[in-house]
Amino acid sequence: MADYKDIVYGLYDDEEDLLKAVKIAGDKHIDIMDVYTPFPVHGLDPLLGLSESRLHIAGFIYGMLGTLTAFLGMTWIFTKDWPIIFGGKPHWAVPSFIPITFELTVLFASIGMVVTFYLVNGLGPGVVNPTIDLRITDDKFCIAFDTAETDKSSAESFLRSTGASEIHAKTI
Amino acid sequence: MTNFEFSGRQRTLLLSGIVLGLVCMGWTWMNDDPLHSRFWSNFLHNSVFFTGIALMAGFFLSASITAWAGWYVTFKRVWESFGLFLIVGLGLMTVIALGNVFHWHHLYHWTDTSILDASVPEKFDSILAGKAGFLNYKWYLGGTVIFVGLWYFIMTRLRALSIKEDEGNDKDFSSHRKMRVWAAAFLPIAGFTSAAMVWQWIMSVDSHWYSTLFAWYTGASWFVSMIALTIMTIMYLKGRGYFQNVTNEHIHDLGKLLFAFSIFWTYLWFSQYMLIWYANVGEETIYFKERWDNYPVLFLGNLAVNFVLPFLVLMRNDTKRKWGSLGFVAAVVFVGHWLDFFLMLKPGILHTAHEAGGGHVGGFAAPGFLEFGTMIGFLCLFLFFAYTMMSRTRLEPSHDPYLEESLHHHV
Repeated sequence: MADYKDIVYGLYDDEEDLLKAVKIAGDKHIDIMDVYTPFPVHGLDPLLGLSESRLHIAGFIYGMLGTLTAFLGMTWIFTKDWPIIFGGKPHWAVPSFIPITFELTVLFASIGMVVTFYLVNGLGPGVVNPTIDLRITDDKFCIAFDTAETDKSSAESFLRSTGASEIHAKTI
Repeated sequence: MTNFEFSGRQRTLLLSGIVLGLVCMGWTWMNDDPLHSRFWSNFLHNSVFFTGIALMAGFFLSASITAWAGWYVTFKRVWESFGLFLIVGLGLMTVIALGNVFHWHHLYHWTDTSILDASVPEKFDSILAGKAGFLNYKWYLGGTVIFVGLWYFIMTRLRALSIKEDEGNDKDFSSHRKMRVWAAAFLPIAGFTSAAMVWQWIMSVDSHWYSTLFAWYTGASWFVSMIALTIMTIMYLKGRGYFQNVTNEHIHDLGKLLFAFSIFWTYLWFSQYMLIWYANVGEETIYFKERWDNYPVLFLGNLAVNFVLPFLVLMRNDTKRKWGSLGFVAAVVFVGHWLDFFLMLKPGILHTAHEAGGGHVGGFAAPGFLEFGTMIGFLCLFLFFAYTMMSRTRLEPSHDPYLEESLHHHV
């Protein structure tokens, strides 16, 4: 089993309060474990110091793989493996390859990115999601501290001073 | 700085650009074939290009108003000013339309009405006789005057209501509501009528040929040019100290539009090409055979410049936010779409001119210095007009209901 974590978390009613609190935490070098919001809050990522996701680079590579698979595959099939004349066109009829090349590019990129995303995040069938508080998917904005990294009382006082409406402790 | 000051230096620069264009046009006129095919084809090419940019600015402004979009509001005066250029476009296109009536030029094969007489079988053209109900000088003149005039009229309404909002008395948003009605009305009007005018102005130079998605294709080309010109204008004005509230977030969104509509243009280019290539009907393939055989560099360069370049450069997030990369792509794509219109118009006009005994002058196989000079003249005219319109009122609106959203825009 995974290690349990003792956490302290505070719930904020407004994303502006959350953004201010995260900024103060950054200035005071208080180590935030994670932030949970019901929707993507603009400007949160740079405040948390999160670097840009590299998923799209993977997506580009998968897309290029799809392009090559489709184009080279059709080239081999229609010129070497099983040449057939369709509609009086040459065997290597590039314009008619373009739609399928496009489709395989999209298919490879999308499936590749989904699989990569799931693998990187350890998601998949049967994974238990330790939801900190049910209302973080509704109307509450949450900052959580791991008490192993941040002292519990200082975390609580930080949450109180920055206007959290509720403060809880929990083991996940 | 809330007001744009059209400085004397800018005026001088743009006016000298206009003079350069006029000199190039005069030079073209004097060294032309008897039909003045080169002069008139350059005139048509640039008039259509810049009128279309003005139309697309008004169209996208209307679409944004109708969609309750807010991000663009802080620089909406750019699109308003571009859109008002339709009055100049109306004048330019009316000159072409009157030229059909009085035979000043022979850009369109269908203006020769002697081919419609069935009693002279050796000259009779049954295809053009079938199209004569639409391809005639009355439709051309009437369509140009009525439709472009209507577009311009709606633009003036949008502009007047937008300026009225700045007074700050619009507590119940009545001006904005009226603006929304005009904008919503403009969308279908511009959508349908612009297609008819594209068929008349551009597609009918290849008068036997037609393509059902040609109007979309042309519209996409206009749209990309409009976004490219918007990006360059905003960058220029920001560099002069204006538009402090237009941030990289707005530039980023304009970059996304440039990227997305470059792909949309390619999608239409390819759809048109592949269907005609696949069906292989002689009447249709002649359009591409002509361009493939005689314009291979422009034909393939068109795709390289207008698709491959923006696609690969603007794919990344950061290249849409950096002025160097985005400005470079905008400039290249702007010229690229001007060349796209060159490729739509010139081969058909050359063919018509040859049949009428003209066309043996330069400027048809590839754009020469005179073509580029004429284009610079028209561009300077466009910018001169747009800057004049921008300097007439506040550069950034003060009481648009969506202004706050625009000031806090975040991608």
